[in-house]
Amino acid sequence: MKTVFTSLFFFLALSTFAQTLISGKVTDQKGAVIPGANIYIKGTYDGTSSDLNGNFQFTTDEQGKQIIVVQSVGFKSKEDYIDCAGKPLVTNISLNESINLLTAVTITAGAMEASDEKKAVVLKPLDILTTSGAMGDITAAFLTLPGTSTVGNDGRLFVRGGDASETSIYIDGLQVGNAFGSTASNVPTRTRFSPNLFKGSFFSTGGYSAEFGQALSSALALNSLDMPLRNQGDLSVMTLGGGFTQALVGKKNALTASANYFNLAPYQAVVKQKFDWEKSPSSWDSEVSLKQKWGKAGFIKGYFHTEGGGMTIWQKEPGVEGRGQRFELNNRYSYGNISFRQAGKNNWFFNGGAAFSHNRDAITLDQIPVRQITQLIHSKIVATKDFIPGFALKNGLEWYVKSYSEALLNDGKKREVTDHQINHFVEASYYFSNRLIAVGGLRSGYSTLAKQYWLTPRFSLAYKLKQGQFSFAAGKFKQLPDEKLRVLQTNLSNKEATHYILNYFLVNNNRTFRAESFYKVYNNLVTYTGTAREPQNIGQNGSGYARGIDFFYRDKKTVKGTDFWITYSFVDSKRRFANYESRIQPSFAPKHNGSVVAKHFIGKLKSQLGTSWSWNSGYTYTNPNSSGAMQNKTSIYSDLSVSWSWLPKPNVIIHAACSNVLGRENVFGYRYASQPGPAGNYESLPIGQGAKRFAFIGLFVTLSKDRNANQLNNL
Amino acid sequence: MKKLFSVITVFFLTVSLVAAQETPYQKVMKKEIEKLVTTDSVSSLQASANAFARIAELNAKEWQPLYYQGLAYTFIGLDKSLSLDLKDAALAKAEEMIKKADALSPNNSEIVTVQGFITMAKVSADPGSRGQSLSGQVMATFGKALAIDNKNPRALILMGQMEYGMSKFFGNGTEKACGLAKESLVIFNFQNEDARKAALQPTWGKSLAENMVKGCK
Repeated sequence: MKTVFTSLFFFLALSTFAQTLISGKVTDQKGAVIPGANIYIKGTYDGTSSDLNGNFQFTTDEQGKQIIVVQSVGFKSKEDYIDCAGKPLVTNISLNESINLLTAVTITAGAMEASDEKKAVVLKPLDILTTSGAMGDITAAFLTLPGTSTVGNDGRLFVRGGDASETSIYIDGLQVGNAFGSTASNVPTRTRFSPNLFKGSFFSTGGYSAEFGQALSSALALNSLDMPLRNQGDLSVMTLGGGFTQALVGKKNALTASANYFNLAPYQAVVKQKFDWEKSPSSWDSEVSLKQKWGKAGFIKGYFHTEGGGMTIWQKEPGVEGRGQRFELNNRYSYGNISFRQAGKNNWFFNGGAAFSHNRDAITLDQIPVRQITQLIHSKIVATKDFIPGFALKNGLEWYVKSYSEALLNDGKKREVTDHQINHFVEASYYFSNRLIAVGGLRSGYSTLAKQYWLTPRFSLAYKLKQGQFSFAAGKFKQLPDEKLRVLQTNLSNKEATHYILNYFLVNNNRTFRAESFYKVYNNLVTYTGTAREPQNIGQNGSGYARGIDFFYRDKKTVKGTDFWITYSFVDSKRRFANYESRIQPSFAPKHNGSVVAKHFIGKLKSQLGTSWSWNSGYTYTNPNSSGAMQNKTSIYSDLSVSWSWLPKPNVIIHAACSNVLGRENVFGYRYASQPGPAGNYESLPIGQGAKRFAFIGLFVTLSKDRNANQLNNL
Repeated sequence: MKKLFSVITVFFLTVSLVAAQETPYQKVMKKEIEKLVTTDSVSSLQASANAFARIAELNAKEWQPLYYQGLAYTFIGLDKSLSLDLKDAALAKAEEMIKKADALSPNNSEIVTVQGFITMAKVSADPGSRGQSLSGQVMATFGKALAIDNKNPRALILMGQMEYGMSKFFGNGTEKACGLAKESLVIFNFQNEDARKAALQPTWGKSLAENMVKGCK
């Protein structure tokens, strides 16, 4: 009896003896305490969390050599050996921070991203559609951002003193040829693609990655939506046309098809136009897109878009009586794109694809028929490897085929040019810490037509401060002259630009501030004598510069229920190019540019009201009645637009917008007669707007099983 | 003496037999689950997440430790005292854990419910910026959870709360939201809490349903 209880007592006493008390403190590399860290003995349930002072304490029954593990969110785990011998032991651990890609610093110099996930962004994809004055055109919304200039008679993207051809546009990493619709001169155009297709975009105003090239000023990379949310049909009925889109979603794939038709004739019959239309612009388009999940982490996308359209306009000649020149345009355009992304083993990622665009312009200029066909094929494959956390290496290979042909049908004359370009790029990015990242890249290329090799280095850096961050980017950029010039002289070589950009970016509490200064040097620009339609003595003796500073401020907090942003860009640019004999300020580079965009949501009215105001200090032009070139400037450009979106039912949206509500007669330049008139001076005609204002009303209905579904994310 | 000895032996045997019916895993899980649903401070939620992390490492085939770890991080991500960056870091961790749980137990209505809960918490962290882009995804995820089990009271009440928020924003009626809340409360009242706790199945969320039904009347 006694022995039983003694042995029992002895047994109990033995178990208390084997416990070891482990305590200590957890800190980071700088000595600051880490509360809430997880400390435990590997292979057991014994463990605890550190308190607010980083201290911890727990007991374990394990004996002998054990491994203690320390973990905390945002830090790399640490393991250490300890000896559990029944005696209390103290172990202090310091953890190293791990790179957190969600909050680590990113390159912001020359970069503006529209994304829902990332933090250092100025735009959300939704902003592109809800900016009044943009009329649902992707690039028009970017014109309210810093570093761009609005050239109202053109409609394309003009970045920091560069012309529209200096910006390349990509969908899912593959280039789009003729992304803007064909049009008559001085009749503005817009992008061919609906913003609904895209979930985010990356807009660079300079210093962009080695992944892109052949664009002297900027790259716009649009990313298409992965999977639509649900099966739904979207019907749009608008003052300028209508269309229907149907999305079908399966478990691993989705199919979307749409058809649209636009015709400005009924609208132009009602609203007085300044342009003399014989046949108002009209177009039809249809597209199909397929998405397929590939394995666990991969994706394949296929997209095909085809459209046709046309217009006939009479444009007066300065100093000549009569209706002027008749310009008839019939356009056929197709674009196809297959892209994929996939993850491999050991932190390898692959992406790539192929795209083609085919554009045919059938123009009749005063009874003279001209055919112009532009084709672009782009194929690309990229392999990225993440080495130790924070170091990634990207390698890519690209092959381009660019061709252009123009024919005078009546004379049976035709000339064409085809160029093959091969590119390789490599880019390394390294996170020194969550606060410092450096990216270096090298892009090389070869053109069979120009018979030229080139190598362009790129570099960027970003450093996060306590408040905001600094970022720097620099690089060399090359671009072969337009095919329309190369068809006349095939040995033209690359134009060049060198960029230097310094940026400060701060996002805090729903307010964003961005300031950026830049300096670009241009060389080898194309020069000629004569006119743009018939250039002679084509050479590359042009050069120039562009320098300036821009500011951006966005605030979603200060005024209740209101989101607004203000942009100001200053560009001082001079270049010698085309038939200019000396360096001049180009007509597409106004010195001062600005925008104010505001959106206000009124819950009671179930509406969002928007307004945007764009202005610039005027466009330069040459008056042949005085000596010199580009000595004159138009008066300031100013356009105030308003829009109203109303949701009477969850699946119905009514959108109304009007541009230039104040009816200002903006002038973008002057066209002069080629010969002096009877009075001895050159007559002129102003280049103005197609109409005083442009008004738009649209009804958008979503048909789906989910009665709450609507096109809000499309509007 | 012999009788006393045999009584003691029988006593110890019975005690050890009863203890053997509950494994160390079940014991520690029950204890931690109880702690998780009764706490609300960030530091104890973090301690809870850490405890589940330790349990998960030793029981790599069970989905519940990862599920509750994800739930703990979701509650942290909903804490109003944290900055947006800290909320997002917690929700990213929650998402990581729930993804692992989903790999162990696919088509599990409870896991899919928490996936929706995490996205809902992301919207709640920055509604102005994220409301429009993520709301559709939240509703679609709860719909998926209910398609697997249309009587999951947690999916019902969370969907009801999201529906309520959206109807207030658009100025619509709250009938659909309140209907979901009432249905959820009925199911909560009928569930066998003890049996569920013994099987380590989730029982949280009743107070959410009770509070919402009160506000609906």
